[in-house]
Amino acid sequence: MFTRIFTVTLLMAACVHFARADSPTVTAVLSNSETTVGDAVELQIKVTGPGDTQPPEEIAVDGLEIHATGTSRQFEIRNFMTTSTVTYNYTVLPLRPGRFTIPPQTVRAGGKLLRTPALVLNVADASGRSSSAASGRGAQVRPLNTNELVFAELVVPKKTAYVGEMIPVQIRMGFDPRVRPRLIEPPEITGQGFTTQKLQESGESSETINGRPYQVVTYKTAIAAARAGKFELGPVKAKAEIIVPRRRNAPRPRSPFDLFDMDDPFSDPFFNNPFAQLAERLPVEIKSQPVALEVKPLPPSAPPSFSGAIGNFTMATDAKPKSVQVGDPITVTATISGRGNFDRVNAPVIEDERGWHKYPPSSKFKQDDDVGISGTKTFEMVLSPNEKKQTLPVFAFSYFDPAREQYVTLRSEPIAIAVQGGPAPASAAVAQAAASPPSPATRKSSPAPSPVKPQDILYQMTELPRSVESFSPVYARRVFWLAQLVPLLALLGFAGWNIRRTRLDNREAQRVAALQHEAAQLMHRLQRADASPREYYAEASRAVRVKTALASRNRRIDPNMVDLDTAAETFKLDGASRDRLRRLFEQCDEWQYSGAHNGPGNLSPETRREVLELIENLRP
Amino acid sequence: MNRQAAADRDLLRRASSGSAGTTPARRDISPNTRKPGLANCDLAVGRRALVKRARSIVMAAAFCASLSVSAFAQPDPQFSKANQQYAQGNFKQAIAGYESIVRAGRWSANLFYNLGNAWFRNGDFGRAILNYERALALEPHHPEAAANLQIARDEAGALEMQRSWPERYLRFATVNEYAVAAAVIFWAAAFGLVALIFARRRSKTLIALVICCLFLFALSIYSIYTLNHGNKGQGLAIVTGKDVQARLATADTANSVLTLPPGSEIKILSTRGDWLYAALPNNLRGWIPAKDAEPVRLRTSG
Repeated sequence: MFTRIFTVTLLMAACVHFARADSPTVTAVLSNSETTVGDAVELQIKVTGPGDTQPPEEIAVDGLEIHATGTSRQFEIRNFMTTSTVTYNYTVLPLRPGRFTIPPQTVRAGGKLLRTPALVLNVADASGRSSSAASGRGAQVRPLNTNELVFAELVVPKKTAYVGEMIPVQIRMGFDPRVRPRLIEPPEITGQGFTTQKLQESGESSETINGRPYQVVTYKTAIAAARAGKFELGPVKAKAEIIVPRRRNAPRPRSPFDLFDMDDPFSDPFFNNPFAQLAERLPVEIKSQPVALEVKPLPPSAPPSFSGAIGNFTMATDAKPKSVQVGDPITVTATISGRGNFDRVNAPVIEDERGWHKYPPSSKFKQDDDVGISGTKTFEMVLSPNEKKQTLPVFAFSYFDPAREQYVTLRSEPIAIAVQGGPAPASAAVAQAAASPPSPATRKSSPAPSPVKPQDILYQMTELPRSVESFSPVYARRVFWLAQLVPLLALLGFAGWNIRRTRLDNREAQRVAALQHEAAQLMHRLQRADASPREYYAEASRAVRVKTALASRNRRIDPNMVDLDTAAETFKLDGASRDRLRRLFEQCDEWQYSGAHNGPGNLSPETRREVLELIENLRP
Repeated sequence: MNRQAAADRDLLRRASSGSAGTTPARRDISPNTRKPGLANCDLAVGRRALVKRARSIVMAAAFCASLSVSAFAQPDPQFSKANQQYAQGNFKQAIAGYESIVRAGRWSANLFYNLGNAWFRNGDFGRAILNYERALALEPHHPEAAANLQIARDEAGALEMQRSWPERYLRFATVNEYAVAAAVIFWAAAFGLVALIFARRRSKTLIALVICCLFLFALSIYSIYTLNHGNKGQGLAIVTGKDVQARLATADTANSVLTLPPGSEIKILSTRGDWLYAALPNNLRGWIPAKDAEPVRLRTSG
């Protein structure tokens, strides 16, 4: 089972491999992408893949004369598979200067239609040939003496520039693909009187120069001249190691273990690299030709807002917020985009600062290319209005345009804002300062309507308070919480006093309730007829005393202490009632102290009714 | 002082009138002196005693007044020496003198105000603003500090933190005033509640008063919290370095958020190593080197 799966997988992989190998490909390449009028370049269209191929039909480009010069075919057998490569050669003769694009060509290969990539050819005029040699192509291809295997080229697009102007520069390092170069020291532009940006590797391509194939590595940078005059840029210098065929008389490298040159057989590099017998690694210095550059000074009469920016820029401004109070900050964002020396691009200046307070700006730069010549620099400035304003001030930014050879000033559009409120607090402070006691250090403020900027500070204090002050808030201090003990104790006292008063009130209420209960019981018993006279008069007398005690609530009279006078006074009795009450008390005392044997055994109903009537009529 | 003088005048008036009644002088006269012939002499003696007593009272009052004056202002030799250095134009020595008093913990608004002036004269507007702010933190109604602070801000172009709207409305009183008010209102509410609990009949007025007190107490606590945690609260700090960049991260190479001139206000939110994370003017936030900013409110050591 496992063997079957393995076989099927192997077959599928082989099918995929063959299917991939069968697909034809096409490439097109120019021997040089730059040339001059009358100087022909070679165009090669290479078709790789099985089957028959058909070349493209006539290639017609206005300004270029393109003729087919021949076809070559190459067969290759690899991994039991045959591959054919057909190369169609053409000669391209420029008839006039300009930038030409050879459009994609359709090639039929293996029954499929393939399209070549579009190719661009830059053609300079015939007179530019000499200038191209001196400036556009700073150094002609200068292969080293080591069999013309490597070269360096400094490409400067301009012959003249202004002081501070950023000039993009290309360094092209070409190597024969067979030398397998290893760069030891990166290329460096030598010379004085200019600054160089950081070198950036921008790409690698294969080119055919003077009929020889080269692997070309391109570096980009930018230079800026520091002073006026005639300069010589370069040469570009770099160090690399290349592999070249071993010379017959070249000494064999010694092994580090072969200290005494004993011709140790293991020191033979064959044991490290068998193919090293055929080639050796050679350090070379790659050097280009220098390029002449004329640097002109900037013209005089630069605008006030010019800070040294040279190039071509645009400016956009925005503000946030647009509705503020006097003294509130407004953030103004100024965006300067374009191409030039951004390190000298400063924030735009305010043309009329009156009524505004400005703060130092912050900036950030976002570059659009490798060397920082083109990009966008954004400034954030904080302004605060000192008075009511309807628009932001106009911001101006000046630069020198080397193409037009003149200064250009960009001005922002006035941005509408709403500023509300009174004058800025500065003037209030000055007024306050002016109102304080006079001192030699005090300066009078000028009567200008705009907020006055004071110049000097007020006098020194000569005394210190005895007590030390603290930054900690009062509630974080111990004394504050200790002070709270006073109202806390007062509150506790107040609560205690209330509790005591309530308790006292409750005791009195209980006493009154007990007396009321006793009075009700006594009245109930007095209405019965079975009581003896002694009991009856005792209860009647007690009832009078209890009612008197109840009636004299504020005086809190004990019922046992009530006598005739107290009861008469409490109930404000008239003479008759007073006599009847006295008789009641006397009868009570008589029955109480004379014994039960004296007098009748029962009371008459009339007597009971009179006593009840007397007691019930006792009202305060 | 006026009360004392009035008391003295009253005493003298009563002594000179010699009126009968309950005056102490009258009580001191023995029964023997009530003889008609000696009455005037005794009265004169009484007057002299009264005058003498009044004089001693006046002197005692003057002594108390002098003591009370000395409680408010005290000549400090170190402070006076620093003031002299300032007057002679030796601002660095003056700064050293004032700062030694600061280090000793004898803080006062006048001390920080003078120190701010010395820094101003020395050309360091950031530290001048810091010390004016400290003077105002100790004594919010210090007119000289407020005036000089504005001057220093204008000179330095310092950025100010914007107060939130509750802060703007609540800043008519200070945190300490709100704290005292909260305490008074709290106790008033507590007394009202106790009275309500034990009252036989609960008065609607008292209930309304207690509710009002509780509301004011809550408002005071909210005010304290808002002012303490606001942009000008306990976290307020002043940028003392020059051309300080607030950055997006704790690295000198991080992108800049805002350039802060010396004297600019920030609100410290947190600290990480040598960096402060702070709220910046214009509602931004960023990291600032800790050495470039100092808090306004100093903490008592120990």
